[in-house]
Amino acid sequence: MTAGNAAAPAKAPVGKLGEGAFKDKEKPTHIRMSNIEAAKAVADAVRTSLGPKGMDKMIKDDKGNVTITNDGATILQRMKVLHPAARMLVELSKAQDIEAGDGTTTVVVVCGALLEAAKKLLSHGIHPTKISDAFQRAASEAFNVIETMKIEFDLSNKEAMMKACATSLSSKVINTHSLHMSELCSNAVLKVADPEKNSLDLKDIKIVAKVGGTLDDTELVDGLCLDSNAMGTTRRMEKAKVALIQFQLSPPKTDMENQVVINDYSQMDRVLKEERQYTLNLVKAIKKSGANVLLVQKSILRDAISDLAIHYLNKLKIMVIKDIERTDVPFICKTLGCHPVASADHFTPEALANVDLVEEISIGGESNCTKFTGIQNAGKTVSLLIRASNENLLAEADRSIHDALCVLRCLVKKRALVAGGGAVESELALKLGQRAKEIGGVDGYCLQRYAEAMEVVPYTLAENAALNPIEVVTELRKRHNAGENSAGINVRKAGVSDMQREDVLQPMLVSTSMITLATETVRSILKIDDIVNVVGRG
Amino acid sequence: MAMAMNPIQVLQNGAEEEKAETARLSSFVGAIAIGDLVKSTLGPRGMDKILYSPTGQYGNGEPSVQVTNDGATILRSCGVDNPAAKILCELSKVQDDEVGDGTTSVTVFASELLREAERLVELKIHPHTIIRGWKKAVAVAREALNESAVDNQADPEQFKEDLFNIARTTLSSKLLTQHKDFFAKICVDAILKIRDDPKSTLESIQIIKKLGASLESSFLDEGFLLDKTPGQNQPRRVENARVLLANTAMDTDKIKVFGSRVRTNDIKSLAEIEAAEKEKMKEKVEKICKYDMNVFINRQLIYNYPEQLFADNKVMAIEHADFEGIERLALVLGGEIVSTFDNAENVKIGKCDLIEEVMIGEDKLLRFSGVSQGQACSLVLRGATEQILDEAERAIHDVLCVLYSTIKETRTVYGGGCSEALMAQAVQVLVEESEGKEQHAIQSFANALRQLPTIMADNAGLDSADLIAKLRAEHAKGNKHAGLDLYNGCVASMDDLKVTESFKVKRQVLLSGHEGAEMIMRVDDILKSAPRQRAPDRCM
Repeated sequence: MTAGNAAAPAKAPVGKLGEGAFKDKEKPTHIRMSNIEAAKAVADAVRTSLGPKGMDKMIKDDKGNVTITNDGATILQRMKVLHPAARMLVELSKAQDIEAGDGTTTVVVVCGALLEAAKKLLSHGIHPTKISDAFQRAASEAFNVIETMKIEFDLSNKEAMMKACATSLSSKVINTHSLHMSELCSNAVLKVADPEKNSLDLKDIKIVAKVGGTLDDTELVDGLCLDSNAMGTTRRMEKAKVALIQFQLSPPKTDMENQVVINDYSQMDRVLKEERQYTLNLVKAIKKSGANVLLVQKSILRDAISDLAIHYLNKLKIMVIKDIERTDVPFICKTLGCHPVASADHFTPEALANVDLVEEISIGGESNCTKFTGIQNAGKTVSLLIRASNENLLAEADRSIHDALCVLRCLVKKRALVAGGGAVESELALKLGQRAKEIGGVDGYCLQRYAEAMEVVPYTLAENAALNPIEVVTELRKRHNAGENSAGINVRKAGVSDMQREDVLQPMLVSTSMITLATETVRSILKIDDIVNVVGRG
Repeated sequence: MAMAMNPIQVLQNGAEEEKAETARLSSFVGAIAIGDLVKSTLGPRGMDKILYSPTGQYGNGEPSVQVTNDGATILRSCGVDNPAAKILCELSKVQDDEVGDGTTSVTVFASELLREAERLVELKIHPHTIIRGWKKAVAVAREALNESAVDNQADPEQFKEDLFNIARTTLSSKLLTQHKDFFAKICVDAILKIRDDPKSTLESIQIIKKLGASLESSFLDEGFLLDKTPGQNQPRRVENARVLLANTAMDTDKIKVFGSRVRTNDIKSLAEIEAAEKEKMKEKVEKICKYDMNVFINRQLIYNYPEQLFADNKVMAIEHADFEGIERLALVLGGEIVSTFDNAENVKIGKCDLIEEVMIGEDKLLRFSGVSQGQACSLVLRGATEQILDEAERAIHDVLCVLYSTIKETRTVYGGGCSEALMAQAVQVLVEESEGKEQHAIQSFANALRQLPTIMADNAGLDSADLIAKLRAEHAKGNKHAGLDLYNGCVASMDDLKVTESFKVKRQVLLSGHEGAEMIMRVDDILKSAPRQRAPDRCM
C-alpha cells in the first residue's frame, strides 16, 4: 500500500450487514487503485496479440477443449475473469465487437494505457472527476483529429473494400490467404448490401464451416448452402422443385398421449399395413405437387421423417434433406423464394421454388453439405462455405471472416476509411499533445497524458513485430510532425512508411468507436469508489 | 432449589434482546454506516459503485457486474441485517415508489440527523427532547420550502421550461450527464404527450433498450413498438389495423387432464384423430378470422399450421408477445385480451392507423402508430454496453417519475443545495428564538440539512468548509437563490443556472428523512425472535 492510502481505515461495521456482504469494503483510493491494476492486468494479457505479427493464445477450457485465437474479444470471453473491474474490460471488447466487429484487442490495449495515465494523474492528487472530464474532452478532440484524416469511400469502390478487409485479416492466422478471403467477403457484402440504406444485415450471409480441404477451397456459393446431407440414394437433382415442409412424415401422433392397443396377431399385421398406407398417402401428396426436393423442418414432438418415408421418397426419386431448424426457415424462404408448407393438403404451386441444380457435395468425412445453385427469383442472400484442414483452424477462420465482414459492415454504415498501422494513433498523440499546450491548466495536463497513452498502439505493434519500438515510435513522431499524417508501421518492410500508399486502410468507425468506448470505460472505472457485494438471492 | 437459583428465562431459546444504550448504539451505527455507504454517490459529481454478484443477478451462476449510482438500486442490492439500517433502506425504496428520485438524499439526510442525535444523546439529552425539537424544526423548514416554491402552471411555455430544467437537474447526477440536454428534451416531450390524457400513465411510455450505436442515437418514437415479427408470408404492413389480442394456445389445443390419453386399435383411427385435431385447430382459426380484425396477436406460440392458415387469410399473426407487451398493447390500443372465441360481437377490438416494420439498429421491430387510446410513445435507448443501457434506463425512469409527479404537483424549488441552505437558515432563526434544551435539537436539524450541500461539494473535490460558509453567508444576507455551482466550484445564483427541482421530491426528502430518523430515535430496545427451527435433514 502506498503512502496515499495511509488515511484511517473505515470504521469496522458492527454486525451491520448480512453474512457475506461487505467483507472487502475499503477506502475509495484503494478500491480505485485495485480496479485500475486489475483492468491493466487484463489489458497486458492481450497486448502481445495486437497487430499483424501478434501472437496467438491457446485457451484450454475446463472440459479440455482447446481454442487457438488472437481475437481479443474471444480471448477475453474465454478467460473467465473474476475481478469486477476487469470484467468491465471484457465487456468493453464485447461492445467493440458488436459496434465495429474489429479492433477488439486494440480497444483493450488503449484502455489499459489510459488507465495507466489516469493512475499517474491520481498520484499527483488530481480529483478523479477532473480527470474523467478532461478525458471526455480529449475524446471529442480526438474525433476532430480523426475527421481530418478520413478518406471518403463509396460502395462502388470494391478495391478499397478489399484493402480494408485485407488489413483486418492481416493479423489473423489466415493472413496468407487474405487476398482470396477479402475478395470473397467483398463480393458477399456487395451482393446483400442495400446501397440506398446505410445498413447491412449480416444475417443475410450464411456461413457454413466444414472441416476438410484447405482454406483455398473456401468459396462463395451463389445460392444456398445447407450444412446437412441428403438422405437415401438421390443425391443430385437437376431442374429441381424445392418444397419446404413443416409437417412430419412419420406415423401419426396426436397431441394427446396415445396408445394403440393390439389384441391379436392379425391386428398387428393390420397396424403395420396401415402405417405403410398412411405414409404412402403423404408421400403421394408430395409427389402430386410436383416437388422433387424436400426440405423437412426438425420437429421436437416426434420423428420428422421415418425411414419408411425416406424409402418411399427415394423410390419416387425425391431428394430429402432433413433437420432444418425452425430458426433457419425465414432465411431459406428468403433465399429460395418459397413458402413453407404446414400440412399435406396445403401444397400450392407457388409454394415451390425452382432451382436449376441441387447437389450434395462430398467433402470427405461423414457429413456432407448441399448446394442449391441457379435459383430462380432468388432473394438477396448469400452463403459462404469455409473449409480448413482442422477444427481449430476452421474456428479461427470463421472468427476472422466474421471480423472482416464486420469491417465491411462498418464501411456500409459509415463510408469513410482511415490509414491503419498505428497511423491514427500516432497522429492523435501528436495533435492532442499540441492541443494540450494550447489549453493549459489541469485539463491540459490530463490531455497531455491522454495523448501519450495513444502511442501505446504503435509501440506495441513495433514490439510485436520484433522492431525496435523506441526507434519506430520516434521515427513516427518525426514523420507526423513533418505533416505526413498517414505514416504508420509497415510490418512487411520492417520500417515506417506511408500507409495510404501501402493500402493499409481501416474503416473510420473502428477508430472512432475505439476512442469512444475506451474513454467511456476509463471514465466509469474512475468514477467507482466502492465495490458492494450483492447477497445472492435464493 | 437449583431451579430457583437459575435466572428466569423470559425469552425463547435463541431469541436476543438488546437494551437501552446498546440498542440505541447499534441503531446509530447501522444507520450511519448506510448513510456513509451511499453518500459518495450524491450530487452531480458523485461516484459510482460496482455491484458485484458472484452468483449472478439472474441466478444463472455467471458472475455479474452492475455499475450504478442510484441510491435505491444500491440499497436494494446489499443485504442488510441491522434493523435501523433496514429502515433506511425502506425509506429509499418508498421514495423511489413515491416520487422516483431523491433516493440517495433521503437516506443521507436521515443518517445525518442520527449522527447529530448520537452527539446529543452523549450530552445526556433525552431522545424525546430531541424529537420535540426536530418536530418544531421540520415545521419551520417545511414552511420555508413552501414559501420558496414557484408555481408556473399558468404559463405553459414557462412550465415547459421548468420541466426541462428539472429533467436536466435530475440527469446531471446520472450517467447521462454528458447528454443531459438531449435526454431532458426527450423526457419532457414524452411526458407532455401523455399529460393531457387522463387515461395515460407512465405505463404508456415504453422504454426499449437496443444494444449498439451510442447514447446520442436514442430517440422518442411516436406510437408503440413491439419487438416481434409477423409470421412467414403474412402482410408486413397493415393500414387501419383492427387488432385482436389473445392469450390462447395455438400450437395444440389439448385436454389438460393428467393421464388423459387416446386409446385405439389401429393406426387408421389414430390418423383420424390426428386429422380431427387438425380440423379443430382449423376451426379455431376460422372462428378467429370471423372477427372484424386483420391483425392477431397472441401471447403464446402460434405453430406452423395455424400460422399458414392466417397467412392464407391475409391476417398478420404475431406469436409469443410477452406478457408485459400484450398488457401494454391492450392499454394503448383499447382492446381486450380474449381467450375464447365464441361471441364475436361482445369483444372490443383494438384499433390503430398503421402497423409497419421499422429497422432499429440491426433489428426489425413492429411499430403501431396512430393508436386509438391515449398517447402512447416509445423511448428507444441505444448504448454501447448492457451496463450503460441498464443505468441509462434507471436514470430515464427517475426523470420520468419526477416529471410525472411535477405535472401533478406543479410547484418547483431550486436545487444545488439552495433549498437545503434556505431551510437551514429558517431553522437557524428558530434556534435563536427557542428556549430550553430543544434548542440543541433544532440546531442539530439545521446542521443535518447543511450536510447535504457539504457532501455534494466534497464529492466534487471542492473545499466544502469554505463553500458552505459562503453559501450560509449568502442566505443570511437574504439571497434566496444562492446555491452551489459544482462545475466551477463557487456559490452562484441557481436562478441563473436554471437548476430546478421538483417541490414534491424535496418535500418528500425532508419529511420522510425526518420521519425515518424519528422512528429510529424512539427505539430503545431491539428484540430478535428466535430463528425458526429447521427440521433436521434426513439425507445425511
